[in-house]
Amino acid sequence: MGSKRPMRLALPKGRNLKVTVEALRAGGFQLAELDSDDRKLLFQAPADDLEIFLLKDWDLPLYVQYGIADCGVVGSDVLEERDGDLLVPVRLKGGGCRLSFIGPEGALPPAGSQVRLATKYPNVARQVLAAKPWGAEVMKLSGSVELGPILNLAEIALDIVQTGRTIRENGLVELEVVREVSPCLVVNRASYQQHRERLTTLIRRMEEAGVVA
Amino acid sequence: MKVSAALPPGVSALFFEAAKDRRRLEARLVQELEQRGFAEVILPILDYFEPYEPLLSPAGRGELYRFIDRAGDQLALRADFTPMLARLLAPRIAAVDLPLRLFYSGDVVRYQEVRAGRELESYQIGAELLGLSGPAAEAEVLTSFLELLTLCGVEEATVVVGFAGALDSLLLAAAGDPEALIRLGLAVNRRERSAARAAHPALLEVVEKGVPADAAVLGPAAPILERLHTLLEGLRARFPGLRLVLDLAEFARFHVDEKARQAADQRSYYDGILFRAYGPQRALPLGGGGRYDQLFRQVGAESVSAAGFYLAVDRILALTEEGGAS
Repeated sequence: MGSKRPMRLALPKGRNLKVTVEALRAGGFQLAELDSDDRKLLFQAPADDLEIFLLKDWDLPLYVQYGIADCGVVGSDVLEERDGDLLVPVRLKGGGCRLSFIGPEGALPPAGSQVRLATKYPNVARQVLAAKPWGAEVMKLSGSVELGPILNLAEIALDIVQTGRTIRENGLVELEVVREVSPCLVVNRASYQQHRERLTTLIRRMEEAGVVA
Repeated sequence: MKVSAALPPGVSALFFEAAKDRRRLEARLVQELEQRGFAEVILPILDYFEPYEPLLSPAGRGELYRFIDRAGDQLALRADFTPMLARLLAPRIAAVDLPLRLFYSGDVVRYQEVRAGRELESYQIGAELLGLSGPAAEAEVLTSFLELLTLCGVEEATVVVGFAGALDSLLLAAAGDPEALIRLGLAVNRRERSAARAAHPALLEVVEKGVPADAAVLGPAAPILERLHTLLEGLRARFPGLRLVLDLAEFARFHVDEKARQAADQRSYYDGILFRAYGPQRALPLGGGGRYDQLFRQVGAESVSAAGFYLAVDRILALTEEGGAS
């Protein structure tokens, strides 16, 4: 039966990869294969008894949700937007950022007003807007969301802010923090049952090392 | 004119061997259920929406395909067999001899955001045992489920067993009020360790191991845990290929405490034992079931003890065709 295959771990290709690898190494994984400079996206890691996939953040929950990967690490922003049924045992302490309204200084809409809002997170935006005294037409963009307010596609944007440098360099400010965002370890329900002991050991070690909360 | 053979995402047509395989498996299951004294019911795929509205959570409502027919009635495609069976049996249940064993098969249709691998349409075979209460009914339903699963050729699976509301007392003690209980229940269900740890040490044990080290923390639900342990112990010897796991966290979102149900706007009809089977490398369950004594009352009949299960036929076929068949 195929169930004897190694556990499959999906890692994010983007900004969270470095902090994820550091946290997993603190949990006891070696992940030596990730030190190579090649552009491989799939790795066999026999020393860790793992198969490793490098995936885009937005695709990663899908791979875990359907059992192609057993577990992975993905930002809580993406996880919330994707609204899957994944288990989230721990969050990484590193790699934190904020999901914030951004726009020109003073652009936060007054109560009763209606604006356009550019974002990669339409589902989260609709949830957040439901509790606001102002309304917005949500416009979904795929990237460079800060261009929305700059080019007047929208009055404000909802996007990730890490250091704030990008928005500052584009003449924008962080108007309001909506969510604290951090990379999360995610597992699908079936894999959690199948690999429970191994995952628990990994998580406990990461907790002891102080790299997860 | 060129006609496209494309189907909407999430549905599929079965041709030739695939169709034969499904019919073969279905026939085998039907034969087995009939031998166990289950009688077939054939239920419509289309029904009024209104009778089910009080039973549906906002999420459940969102999954329904609904429309207004020419007479102005709101109709819905079948998304679940059990409430329909209960509603249609409710006026007749006082007149029939219990216990009653029934089975059905067919598609359920639920809207899900279109993504690869999502099923909008799922072919199920289900069985219901009505009018038999207590541990005997739990044992019969779970045993039948496991026997049919193995009969399908599933050699390896994890079957997670829990109990609706088993954590309610502990969650309420740790959270303080029903709304916090809902948040904590969700966190336990998602195995969020920091939330569980902060709320109660026993909840971290539940998150990690599925059960608390000391059953007494479950309050009135403590004897249930003992009963489930005994049930599973007996079944493990009978089904050595299946991994039977007692795990209360898996079902921490199912509440029976009335305040908690109201706070969560929970409309799930399960109120007793619950179980779910996962195949190797399959994230979607192969089947599941549980006890739902409250459902008949909710659809206007006298209280009737009821428990049942379903098997997701195409998911099982996909698994066994990959090498899990006996």
